[in-house]
Order: sequence, then structure tokens, then C-alpha cells
Amino acid sequence: MFPLQSATPLVDAISNLLGWGTNPPVPYEFIAGFLGAFLIANVLLVYSALAGPWAKRKITASFTDRIAVNRVGPFGLLIIVADAVRLLSKELIIPEGADRPAYDLAPLILPFSALLGFAVIPMGSGIHLADPEIGLAYVFAVASIASLGLVMGGYASNNKYSMIGALRAVAMNLAYEIPLVITGASVVIFAGSLRLSEIVAVQAEPLITLGGFTIPAWFAFVNPFAFALFMAANLAEIGRNPFDIPEAPNEIVAGYQTEYGSVYFVLFYLGEFLHIFLGGAIIATIFLGGPAGPILPGFIWFTIKIWSVFLFTQWMRSAVPRLRPDQFLEVGWKGMLVLAFANLILTAVIVGVIA
Amino acid sequence: MSLQQPREVGVTADGEVDYDALEALLGDKVVDREEHINAEGFVIRPDEVQAVLTTLKEEAGFDYLSLLTAQEYEDRYESIYHLKKYDDPTQELSVIVPSPRDEPWNESAEPVFRTAEWHEREAYDLVGIDYRGNPDLRRILLPETWQGHPLARDYDQDRPQVVTLREHANPIREDHRHPDEADTMFLNIGPHHPATHGVMHIKTTLDGEEVVDVDPDIGYLHRCEEQMCEHSNYRYQIMPYPDRWDYASAGLLNEWAYARVAEDLADIEVPDYAQVIRTMGGELSRIAAHLLWVGTFALDVTGDFSATFMYAIRDREIVQNILEDLTGQRLMFNYLRLGGVAWDLPEPRDEFFSKIRDYLDDVPYRLDEYHSLMTSNEVFQVRTVDTGVLPTETAKDYGATGPVARASDIDIDLRRDDPYGYYENLDWEVVTEDGCDNYARVLVRLGEIEQSARIIEQCVELLEDWPEGEREIQANVPRTIKPPYDAEIYRGVEGAKGELGIYIRSDGTQQPARFKIRSPAFVNLSALPEMAEGDLIPDLIASLGSLDVILGEVDR
Repeated sequence: MFPLQSATPLVDAISNLLGWGTNPPVPYEFIAGFLGAFLIANVLLVYSALAGPWAKRKITASFTDRIAVNRVGPFGLLIIVADAVRLLSKELIIPEGADRPAYDLAPLILPFSALLGFAVIPMGSGIHLADPEIGLAYVFAVASIASLGLVMGGYASNNKYSMIGALRAVAMNLAYEIPLVITGASVVIFAGSLRLSEIVAVQAEPLITLGGFTIPAWFAFVNPFAFALFMAANLAEIGRNPFDIPEAPNEIVAGYQTEYGSVYFVLFYLGEFLHIFLGGAIIATIFLGGPAGPILPGFIWFTIKIWSVFLFTQWMRSAVPRLRPDQFLEVGWKGMLVLAFANLILTAVIVGVIA
Repeated sequence: MSLQQPREVGVTADGEVDYDALEALLGDKVVDREEHINAEGFVIRPDEVQAVLTTLKEEAGFDYLSLLTAQEYEDRYESIYHLKKYDDPTQELSVIVPSPRDEPWNESAEPVFRTAEWHEREAYDLVGIDYRGNPDLRRILLPETWQGHPLARDYDQDRPQVVTLREHANPIREDHRHPDEADTMFLNIGPHHPATHGVMHIKTTLDGEEVVDVDPDIGYLHRCEEQMCEHSNYRYQIMPYPDRWDYASAGLLNEWAYARVAEDLADIEVPDYAQVIRTMGGELSRIAAHLLWVGTFALDVTGDFSATFMYAIRDREIVQNILEDLTGQRLMFNYLRLGGVAWDLPEPRDEFFSKIRDYLDDVPYRLDEYHSLMTSNEVFQVRTVDTGVLPTETAKDYGATGPVARASDIDIDLRRDDPYGYYENLDWEVVTEDGCDNYARVLVRLGEIEQSARIIEQCVELLEDWPEGEREIQANVPRTIKPPYDAEIYRGVEGAKGELGIYIRSDGTQQPARFKIRSPAFVNLSALPEMAEGDLIPDLIASLGSLDVILGEVDR
């Protein structure tokens, strides 16, 4: 029996709860792991259900001086149910000449690549499915699988707008993924580990004490420049203004998802929100101390942090114009990439001198 | 040869057009002379169009082809080129080109004025004159399968027009224009597309993201407005139609275009009080129209969750409410009448005025908000500066007017240059920018909102103090209007999109024999290929947005 490569706090907890003890036999461990994954996936589906049909509308409405949904249920909350029924009951129209298996698989890849990422995110209060040594690298890796979904969807739709959207998505991914990962690497240099639980633990150290208040060594405070850079790159990762280029509804209709409707559209939509939350989770974990925070339980803090990032993306969407693809590439390759490397080298030098 | 000297040809000392000198300039090319109400007309032979227009453009300074009217008489076809000068639009000249009924043709003016291409296409489409030398003489408003020319006299209205798709050429062209050319992609933008602001189809050829060829396909909203007006009487029936041309809140300005031309034709004096109300209402319309543009342009550049859009709609709503108080309507105002307006200001007047003043007080603050969301945003700047460039000379060649022309550094505004209404007596400025790009067009329109607010404020002051006994809203106008036989007139007003002009020829009855609309959006749109080719798709969308086309006015 090989021991698993990583610690699995949530699985162990479930296993203990069911009376199987730590490190139960494989079938039991599998069941416990499945239950843990089920729990985390459902938490995220609830977030997305809140965000998609309701919170996003409400937030955008506040930014744009409107009221938004307020008729169904308290604060319009039941619109979530109504919209779910509406979206799921729509006819699924598949365009002629669509490249079938690819067309059907693309909407699955997008949400599941994001869900996979959450497997290693420490969400506080013991909700942490797995904690492999290569945690951060794993998150970036699975999050990038989403690009494959976009390209598949855009290519398989047999629509020129979709194709343009897919090509834009590829160009964009190449341009932003590198600065994103490089900036993430500067955090790794500080923390000395890719393991997410350790990155969180390092940030719990006090940075400075001001008049009785201890400011923790969150990397957002330690290296605000890297934080800003990462936030910007993250907007590109999740495709929101000023970088919502692959969708660009006024230019290329809806980009890669032009031909998707009904359940497939829901999956795309769900995937987008999951990616926003995954982006928020990465930011919370490597820059904002993970689930750490005073008084409230860790999970609540974690939720607040990722929703703050969500709020930020919606704010950008309402306020900032969209860049042109060529301008974005310029920002990505000539701006962010250079800054990311500068940040990495500087961090390495500073850490090398101090340590 | 000095550049200044030729401009003086054909102008009298006091700035009027000297038609005799012009006739002398053209020599025996002028076959005959006609008297139109707005200008004199020179009759020329169909094969001398280019020579005459070139001479007039280069030596007499007529650098603005405002409109081409084509019509069919019992014995002949006729094309009228309405020429003006950008420096002084009151200097007008009509060049009349008759051609035989059995084979209507004349030389195309396109080599002299680019704008003639679309005008001639429309004339060919609806009237059926063959403009030889036009590089692209296809139907423009009607489908290419249409049979016959509907404004021609012998047009058979009962002829079936259904042409099945099988008989119709495949509308989707090959992606590769030439087999040996680099890979290009043909993309249909529209007729149903989020960015076309109406039903419009842009046939685009792309090289990667770069736009190499743009061919706007219009006419989806063609409602035979000209013909409907020709079947309506001057006094009552035509006025509601202009509301339906530029329906994006500019209704009062459109009505004014008809009011002005018909009043000049029938020699009706409008009381000052009514003129002030018209001026105020017209400027409110302009603000509403420009605000809608601000919002939709933000959509084009920012995306569909833009806060700017809702802010603009919110502000426009206030203006719409004021217009509703004034006219009783929100969309199709139908408020102007020949000789005045339909009714006096709403009672209680104080409340109405304070409503307007409340809005005007807010305008500077609101404009600041738009400037901080749009013009001073750096991302917005990199998106709009130096994109959709329309250089001054090109803009003139395309006959651009309105904010599009003024953003290309052409100082033309009919409110000032060809005064009507009450504008002469008010203190305001014409906003121009020399950027020639999308950014300049934003600045011009935001500036015009400010100027319109100034005008409205002065109108409100005038109306408040207007003596109670002299509140005359309507001149004494006969119940039936029958202008003299064969009177011809072309008049334009400054609509929200540019020079909105109407040509009317009367035949002595209560209905016009020819009613031709010069749509500024139609003319401005013809410059789109010039602006967009070589840019990327997002710039094409932004440039299209920046032209502020309302398809109801383009297609009429």
C-alpha cells in the first residue's frame, strides 16, 4: 500500500467522523474522498448559483444605477430557481456542421477544470481536500486546461465569430499565463514551498505591530506590487474587462460561446463563474493569508475574500473599457511579462540577501 | 496658381453667389438656367457632369455635394446635384442634368465627389438612372433581386417581387477573394449583431483580425418614406413622418427640417415665440439624441455591462420627460406645425421651467462624470485616439456633416451658417475638434450637449419673460397649401446627425411631386469603409458607433 503523496485533511476528518479512523483501507478512503469532493463542489455550485443569476445582477445594477431583480422572493433571491428552470428547459440547438464530440465536451471542460483546482485550496475550518507538495503548480496547471475548452468550443461550433473568439482566447492565454505564473513564483520564493498549506502558514506570521494591532505577513502586504500585478493578470485569466477580449459581445457576438445555448450555455456560464472564484481563491491563498482572519471562522473569511475578488471583477466590468486584442498582447508581452520577471528577480535577490 | 484666388470666382462683394460669373466660368457647358427657391440651377448635358463639377469644385469653391435628387418627368429624367460650400453653406448651386426617357443616363459624379457614389446608387435603385462611370452601381436600399425602379413613372406596383433564394445568387461569398491572395475570411457582421445599432449588415473581409474590406449593406429598414410623403398633403399629413426617420429622440429636429422647407416653399412666417419654443425643443431633442449616442458608444467600447450606458439612459430619461411634458409624446412627437407648433407650453409653466432648470443645473456635473468615465480614462483613450480616422479632406469628399464633420475639423453648423429658428439671437458656440478620430467625435458630442444646454437656458429665460399677450404659437396658415407649379426648393437644418435636408418639387397640387430626403446618417455611413479599412474589428465597431447612424434615417 503506497501512502498518498499528499496530506488530505478533509478526507481524514470525514473518515474519522464515519468511524473509519485515519488512513482507512482504499475503498473507504475513496468514499471519504468522494464525500469531501462532493461537499466542496456543492459549496462552489451554491456560490455560482448565487453569483450568476442574482449577485452579479445586483452588483452590476448598483454600479449602473439600477435596481435589478426584486420581484421573485425576498431581494429577488428566488430568481435563482426561476432562472435555473428557465435555462434548463430551453431547447438545445446544435448548429449544423458542429464537430460533435468536441462541441459537446467543451462545455464540460470549462467548469471541471476550475473545480479540479479547488481540490487543493485550503478553504479554512478544515475544508481542504488535498494538500500536495506541488499545490500551487497544480492549481495553475488545471486552471489552464480551461483554455482547451474555449478553443474546442470555438473551433467545433462551425461559426466564424466562435473561431475568432477561440483564437483570441489562445493569444490571450499565452500572453497572460506566463506573467501570472511568474508572479505566483515570487510568492513561492518567499514561502519556500509550493504546498498551499505552508504558503498560508507563512503568511500567519506577524509582519509589523502598530499600536497593538498586528498586521500579518500576507503577501499582499509584503509585496503589494506582486499583488497588483497578479490581480491584473487574474482579470485576464477570467476574461473580464479590460480583458474580456475572447467574448467581447459587441464585437464578436459572444466569442467562443456564440453557438451554445440551453444546458451547454449554463455549463459555460457556470465555468466562467467557477473560474472567477478559483482566481479569487488563488489570490486569497497566496496573497491574502488564505482563510486567516480575526474572530470569524476561517471558512467565512475565505468566502469573504473570494467574493471580494468577485466584486472587484464586476466593478472592472462596469467601469473599464475593453482593450483591443493587439493592445492586450502588447500589455501582456511588453508590460506584464517584463514586470513579472523584474518582480521575480527582485524578490529572489531580497530573499537571498535577507535569508 | 494661388489657392486663394480661385475661391473668389462667382462670389459677389457681399458674399452672395454670382451666378452670371459662374455661367461665364462654365461657358457653353451651361445649356439653360433654372430658378429654384434656394438657389439657381444650371442645366448641363449628361456627358459633361464630371467636367462641370470639377470646374465648380476646383475653381469656384463648391466643395460640398450635399445631395443628389433624381426624378422622372413626363418627358425626361433629371438628376439634380445640390452643391454647397463648406465655408459658407448658404452659397448654393444646383446642377441639373436632364436625360432622355428612353435611355436615362448621365456621367457619374463619383470621380469628383466620393459621396456621389451612394447617392447615385440610391438614384439608380429607386428611379432607374444609369450613372456611367460609377464604380459600384448596385442597388443600395432594395434587395439586389428587386424588379424595376419604384419611383419611376411606369413602375408596375402589382408585379410580384418574391425571388426565391434558389434564383438568388448565394449571398455568402467565398472566404478567399482570390485564390492566390493571403488567407482572408469573409464575415457577415449583421443584420443581427449586437453592435450594428439596428438592422444593418456589414460585409467584412478580414485578414486575421484586420479589416481589409468593408461593404455596408443597408436598406433593411426602408419604408418608402419619400414616397409616403409624396402621397400626403403638405398641411397636415407629412409632419408625422419625419419623427420616424431619426427616431432616437431627434424627432423635433427632423420635424423642423420639414417645417423649414415647407414654410419657405409656401412663404409662411413663423412667430418668434413659436421659434423660441422650437429652438428649445429642438435642442432638448439634440441632447437626448447625443446622450443615447454616448451610452451606445460606451457599449461599443466598454462592453455590455458598462455603467456609462445606464448613466446616459438615466439622463436621457429626464430629457424625455421634459419633451413628453412639452409635446405629449415620448417617441413620435408630432409637435411642430407649419407656421408654428401644435400647442403652447404646458401649464403650470413655472413647474415646467423649473423642471428644465433643474436638469440644466445638473448638466455640468453629469458631463464631468462622462468625461471621467470616458474621455479621461486611459484605456478609453488608447481605444479611441487615432482609430477610425477620417481626415478633413476625405470627410469633405464624403459630404460628411454634423458632429462627424466637426470632429474632422470642418467648421460647419447650419444653425450658425444658415440661420433659422432663433439661433441667430442666442449666444452659443460651434464645437469643433481637429483629432479626426473616434476620440474627437466623443469630445464634439459631449461639447454639443453643453452648448445645447446653454441654448436651452437662454430660451427658457426668453420664454419666462415673454409678454403674455404675444404668446403666438401659430401663424395664420391657409387650410390647404398649394405651392406654385414646378417650384423647387432644397433646405437643410442641423439635425442631430448632421445636415438633414429636404428637396421638394411641387406640381401645383396639395401634395409634393417629388420629396427627397437628405439623410445625414446615410451620407456619413458611406465613409465607414474609409475609416475602418486597415483597422481591427474592435475599431470597426467603434468607428461604426462613432458615426451615430440611426438605420431608420439611413434607409428611410
